[in-house]
Parts: sequence; structure tokens; C-alpha cells
Amino acid sequence: MLPWARRTIVEEEQWLSSEEFSAMLGICQIVPGPNVTNLAVCVGSRFCGVTGAIAAVLGLSLGPICIVILLALLYNHFRDLESVRGILRGISAVGVGLIASTGFKMLKDEFHYPPSLLVVVVVMIAASFFHLGLGWVVLIASPVALFLAWHKAKR
Amino acid sequence: MPTLIALFLKFSAFSLIAFGGVNALLPVLLELTVYQEHWLDLQTFSDYFAIAQAAPGPNFMTVTLIGWHMSGVLGAFVATFAIIWPAGILVFFLQRFILKMQDPMKKKVVQYAAATLAIGLVLSSALEIALQINHGLMAYLLSGLTIAIVLLTRWHPLYLIALGALLGACGLI
Repeated sequence: MLPWARRTIVEEEQWLSSEEFSAMLGICQIVPGPNVTNLAVCVGSRFCGVTGAIAAVLGLSLGPICIVILLALLYNHFRDLESVRGILRGISAVGVGLIASTGFKMLKDEFHYPPSLLVVVVVMIAASFFHLGLGWVVLIASPVALFLAWHKAKR
Repeated sequence: MPTLIALFLKFSAFSLIAFGGVNALLPVLLELTVYQEHWLDLQTFSDYFAIAQAAPGPNFMTVTLIGWHMSGVLGAFVATFAIIWPAGILVFFLQRFILKMQDPMKKKVVQYAAATLAIGLVLSSALEIALQINHGLMAYLLSGLTIAIVLLTRWHPLYLIALGALLGACGLI
């Protein structure tokens, strides 16, 4: 969705310059929550304040919500068909792979400063091995993350 | 109705710790909705996950579908709103603050730190979700193949979703 957002906002409509868009995207990836609606808040409020933010979020999510509800209705009808079960199993296996690959793509950039991989390891151990709650994981890992980020930025 | 309020409060809290977006949040969502509250079973959760992946739009649709499962259209909107609003308000106030941040060093530190946190959370999320919803070797192979294709080619993810659907329809997964 993000490449498409960049094309519309920067290239076609020219609402924002490319630098401005990248800066906003950077912020939206720092803060928690759904990246896409966070971006909508940034872009919307840049032009019309609170109203713009609300309009952007609604515009972005209403259509997809309706579509997904329609899909859910279909699912309720056909969920017991063997072929539908198979299709959903196939898609969820791909979906897991897609999520992992977003992580791996971002991981590639971190190899320029290998110590920061430590944060990734700490997070993974805390979350996947010790099964700590997400709040705890963030709390434990952020001091390490900030310390290493400070070292990386200092270079 | 009380469950809908519980869902609203929990999802609102999740919104503020979802570094790395909703994808990083999936294991926590699964733990809460399937194992703690028993709002839905694991099979339904993984089906909703699949539908959300295949549907167009933002990647938080699993949340929407969980809400739908609990209270229909109202539930769908309540759940979606819950996951959006806290982070939305946070970013509304933070963006000015960060854009005006004069010290480039501070900016970089925050950015690098958030990126590494997000990577860890997204990767462990993928791992945990895989352990829960991938059944059998073929499913893991398909997940692995997906990772390889995304990293090595410029295929659009929709083709991969279609490939998964096709293999699944043939009974291979």
C-alpha cells in the first residue's frame, strides 16, 4: 500500500514533496500503531488539521472495511468447503512469509552496523522464547535499542 | 456488549505498543482472543488472518474481522477504531515535535532505535504466527518460498497470495 500512496501523493497529486513524504513516513514507522493510518493522520493534518486527519483515516479505511466484511459473509457461507479450507491454508502460509520478509528486508539495512542486531535478538528471545507481553518486550529492549542507536548515530 | 467494551479497551491499549505496526501485534492478538478470552478458535483466527492478507487495503484487517466475529458490523468498526485512534492521536502530536526537532543526532537515535525494535517484533511475530497456523512441512516450505521470492525478485505480493491460494485449492498445503 505504501508505494501506491507515495505515487499518488507525491507524483500524481503533488500534495507533498518527496522529502516531506519520506520524513512523514519515517515518523510513522517510529510510532506504534497501524503505519498506514498513522501516515494518513500526518498527511491529512498537514492540510486541514484535525478534520483533515479524520477525513484521511476514514477515506483510507472505510472502503477496505466494507470489502473485508463482504469477504467475511462469503466465508461464513463457504467455510466448510474443502477447497476453501485449502485456499485459506495456502494464503495464510504466504501471509506469514510476507510478514517475515518485511522484517528481513529491514534487517538487511542493519548489517551496516552489526551490533544493532543484538536488539533484534533480545526482542526475539524476550517475545518468542520467554513469551513476555509486548509491553514488557518493548520496555526491556528499548534501553538496549537506544544505547546502540546512539552509538550508531555517533559514528 | 460488555465483551465489546473489553475488546475496545484491550485493542486500544495494543495500539500504543504496536511498534512495527499491526503485523507485529498478531501473536498478542492471538494469545488474547483465542487462548485467554476464547472469543474465537484458532482455526477461525487463522482463516481471518488469511482473508485479511488477501483483502485490499491496510494490514490491520485481522482486527476488523475479529470485531466482526464478535458483534457483526458494529464490532468490526469498534475493533478497527480501537486499533487506530490511540496511535493516531499520538502521531498527530508527535509529528510536529519530531519534524521540528533541530538536533539531527537525536532524530537519528530515535529512528535507528525504533527500526531495530520493529525488526525484532515483526520477525518474532512471523515466527510465532507460523508456529500456530502453519500445519505441516508444505506450509513452511511455502512460507520460506515466499520470503525467498520477496527478497530476490520484484514480484507483487498479490501474485504470491494467488500462488498460495492455487496451491491450497489443489490440496497441497
